[in-house]
This record gives sequence, C-alpha cells and structure tokens, in this order.
Amino acid sequence: MTRLNVIHAAVLGLTATFLLLAFDRSGALHRDKYVYVPPAPKVAAAPPVVDPDKGKPPPHNDTVEDLPEGKNRELTFYTCTACHGVALIKAQGLTRDLWDSTLDLMVEKFRMPPIKAEERTEILDYLAENFPPRRKGRGSDNPFLK
Amino acid sequence: MLRSGTSKPSRRNVLKGVGMATVGASLGASLPLGGAAHAQGAPAAAKGPKLLEMDGKAKLAILGDRPLVAETQAELLDDNVTPTNKLFIRNNGQVPDVTGDPKAWKVKIDGEVNTPMEITVGDLMTKFPAVTYQLMLECGGNGRSFFTPEARGNQWTNGGAGCPMWTGVRLADVLKAAGLKPSAVYTGAYGADPTLAGETNKPSISRGVPIAKAMEEHSLIAFKLNGQDLPLIHGAPVRLVIPGWPASASTKWLNRIWIRDKEHDGPGMGGFSYRVPKTPIVPGSKGDAKDMAILESMPVRSIITFPADGSKLTSRKLDLRGHAWAGDFDIKSVDISTDYGVTWKPAKVDAPANKYAWQNFTASIELPTTGYYEVWAKATDSKGVTQPFQAANWNPQGYGANPVNRIRVLVES
Repeated sequence: MTRLNVIHAAVLGLTATFLLLAFDRSGALHRDKYVYVPPAPKVAAAPPVVDPDKGKPPPHNDTVEDLPEGKNRELTFYTCTACHGVALIKAQGLTRDLWDSTLDLMVEKFRMPPIKAEERTEILDYLAENFPPRRKGRGSDNPFLK
Repeated sequence: MLRSGTSKPSRRNVLKGVGMATVGASLGASLPLGGAAHAQGAPAAAKGPKLLEMDGKAKLAILGDRPLVAETQAELLDDNVTPTNKLFIRNNGQVPDVTGDPKAWKVKIDGEVNTPMEITVGDLMTKFPAVTYQLMLECGGNGRSFFTPEARGNQWTNGGAGCPMWTGVRLADVLKAAGLKPSAVYTGAYGADPTLAGETNKPSISRGVPIAKAMEEHSLIAFKLNGQDLPLIHGAPVRLVIPGWPASASTKWLNRIWIRDKEHDGPGMGGFSYRVPKTPIVPGSKGDAKDMAILESMPVRSIITFPADGSKLTSRKLDLRGHAWAGDFDIKSVDISTDYGVTWKPAKVDAPANKYAWQNFTASIELPTTGYYEVWAKATDSKGVTQPFQAANWNPQGYGANPVNRIRVLVES
C-alpha cells in the first residue's frame, strides 16, 4: 500500500507539474508576463510591388486579316508587324517609289533586319497595290510626276 | 507587353474598333479640315479615328497603336494650359521599363566637355535651380495629313501639339557645369526607349540641336509636367524640352547628352527625317536626300478650339477661340474668315505667358445667314510670315504642313 501510494503520489505530482507547465507555457497563468508565439514559417521577403507595365500603352492585337486580302499579304504582315502595328501601314498612301524608300527608312533608321531581295519585291508589290496614294487633287496628277 | 520581335496575341484587346484606313481617307480629298466631325450634343459619328483608352489619358485620336501615337483633337486643346491627360503621345520605339528610384536615374554628359559626368536626377534637382515655363511641344510632323498626295508617316492633323507647364533645370546650367569645349557645336541626346525591334542597346531615335539652341534659357531637362512627376508615357523620370523645334529633339527617358564637334548623326538626323527640301520638289516624288535641310523652328500655325469642327449652331453669333504659335517666334496677328478667304477680320490675340508659349485668340463673329459655313483662322508671326492656303513645300516624310485652319459649322434656324 505504502509503495502504491508513493507511485500514485509521484504520478499525480508529475501530472500536475506537466499541467502547470503547459498552462504556464500557454500563458494562461500569467497573461501579463509572456505568451509563447510559435516561430513564423520562413517566407522570403516579398519584393517591392513594381509593375513594369504600369503607365505603358495598352496592349494591341493585330491579325493578318487586319490587312486587305491580296497576294503576299502574310509575308507583308509578319515582316512589318514584327516591329509596328498594322494601323501605321494602313494610314499610308504611297507610290511604289515611296514605298521602296519607306523600306529603306525601316532598315536605316528603325533597324529592321535586312530581307531577301525577292521578299522585298513581293512586299513592295503588296504595299503598292493595296496602299496607293488616295488623296486626289493637284498633287495626284502632277504633270511632272512620272 | 510584347517585347520581342514576334507578333503574338496580347492579353486582351482594349483597342477596339475598325481599322485606321478611314482616317486618312476621310481627311483626304479637298480641304485641310482638322479632326473628325462631331456634332455638339449629337451621338459621336460612326466614322473617325479609334480613341485611346489609357489610364491618365483623355480619349485622344489614335494614329498608330504600335508604337503608340495619338493626337489631341482640336476641341480638346481648348484649355489655355494643356492638361497632362490631353497632351499628345508620340513614340519612336518601345516604352522602357522605369521601375527604380527615379532620383537614382542617371544622365551622362560626355563628348566635347571639360568634365564628363554622370549626374543623378536627385543631384540635378538639388544642384541646379528649378524653373517652370509654359512651353510648346509640337511633333515635327504636325499637319502631315494636309499634304496632297500623302506624305509618309503618322497622319497628324493639328493635334501633335500642346502647351503645358514644364518644370526642370536649364540644360544650359548643366552644360556649363560640364564645361563646353570650344569644339562643341551640337548636342546628341539619347533616351532609354528600346527600338521597335526590341533592342535595348541601340537608340530608337537620337536627335540634337545646335549648342546655341541648347543654351537658350527655355531649353530644359524637365522632371515635372503641370506640377506633377512626369508620367512614364511622357518620359519619366526626366526628358528634354526644346520648345519651338520638332519634339523629337525633346528626348524622353533622357539618359545621355553627347556633346558633338559636328552636326549630330544619330537615327532621325539624316535622310528625309525632320528635314525639308532646300529647293521645292514635285509632290509625290522620291526626292533627293542631299537636297534636304534640317527643320529647326516649327512653322506658324493656328487652331480653332471652340467650336468643334462639325458643330451645329443655333445662333448666327459665334464667340470662337483658339491658339496660335510659331516655333521660335511670336504671333503678331490672327485673322478669321467665314467666306473662304474673301474677307478677313482680325481676332484678339493675347500675349504669350512666356516665350515659347502659345497665344490665345478670340473672335466674335456673326454669320450672315443660316446654313453651312467654314470658319478659317490664319496666323501671322512676328516676321510677317503667315499660313498658306494649302500645305506647301511637299516632302517625302511630310514636315512643315501648316495650312490655314478650317472648321465646318452648320447654323440651324
């Protein structure tokens, strides 16, 4: 009996101790002293929120069909819209000579990669056919213009 | 953003509407009328340019969406000081990423100077006095759509122009600090915008001006527009403002000024770019690059900003207003005609807020009857040079078109 009582007392004592420790650790016994806070899970410091597109022009969405149908339309579309929109093409109305020098301008000023001679001819065919001068007036039938 | 050289479908298509073919065509044939026709109070006309949908910007008329080029319709230029949201947009390349601390942005000054330097925007702001002026910014190709036949490029009416307040430091103060050598004759300015092909190590455009123009007190390295930090689309964090000259010299996203011992030869300086013929050429012809001279001061121009082109009027009495400007020069007079130039009546013209600011004009007119009228405005500058009745001195890339401004009105009883 005596031995049993000692064991009981030890178990009860240990249980009470653990309970007290648990309450102590949870802060329930002394809220003003400290509260156990589990360590925060490790998260990489968030980078500053910078959207490089903020303030930039809205996106665009040209398709081949935005150009009028015609021979060499696809070649023209993919060559020209690598750098600029279809709207810029469609706003022009130029003679073949001026379309030719326009391609020079693209290469010389705007760093367009050089294209093969036959492709250049095909693109010129398409542009001169589909975007000739439209404004009529004294300028369009100039007697000195060949 | 599409940054590479391939054309891919974008995230969304916010630029709705039909193609641009109608823009040039509708302006086409006969008279150099400004902008699309809208009836006041009536629904917007079906035809006309696509309108810009962009945070911080008004519904400007899109001339090209890639690169973004948008002009301000004449009636949106009615304010005496152009608000930031109504300032036109012109890009020669892509819009660069500008994401760091703006004050740490560096501008290099090198070439024909005693002390080459790389100065931060923060140092520019603290080491040099800031000045604020109302200054014209005008695209070199403004008015191009008035040429017959078409000249190559963006088909501006008169809306590649605006006159906001700019704050910055004088370019002259910075160049003096770097110490110009006697060999310095020209500037060559560079910005951070990638080329249209997407290269970030090549200039999309690089223009300059003679040293004398750079040293004028109104030539600025600007960091504020209408009192606010420059928006990205207008060149944040710093840009040049070289008033009165083609705006391509007012480099956006400025990161280098190379002082040259000769006329600058960057992209946009040679060929037919920003140049006009020394001797007149046949309109529509190819021209000769050797016979072209750099366009410096912009020509005299006037715009009627009220009423809008295409307005229906309920009274024969009309109080109209607008602005006029003339590059390096002042406006001496503005005259108004309602009978196709047969008779003219002087408008009241205000003094400019400062040199290089546009001048406001007003006129009270009474149309003789109801019916259709054109109201024409013609400005004359301090040299006595006035506007032609049709765009003159045709050139392949279409600079210097400044015909008399014409709006159409319909007086209903």
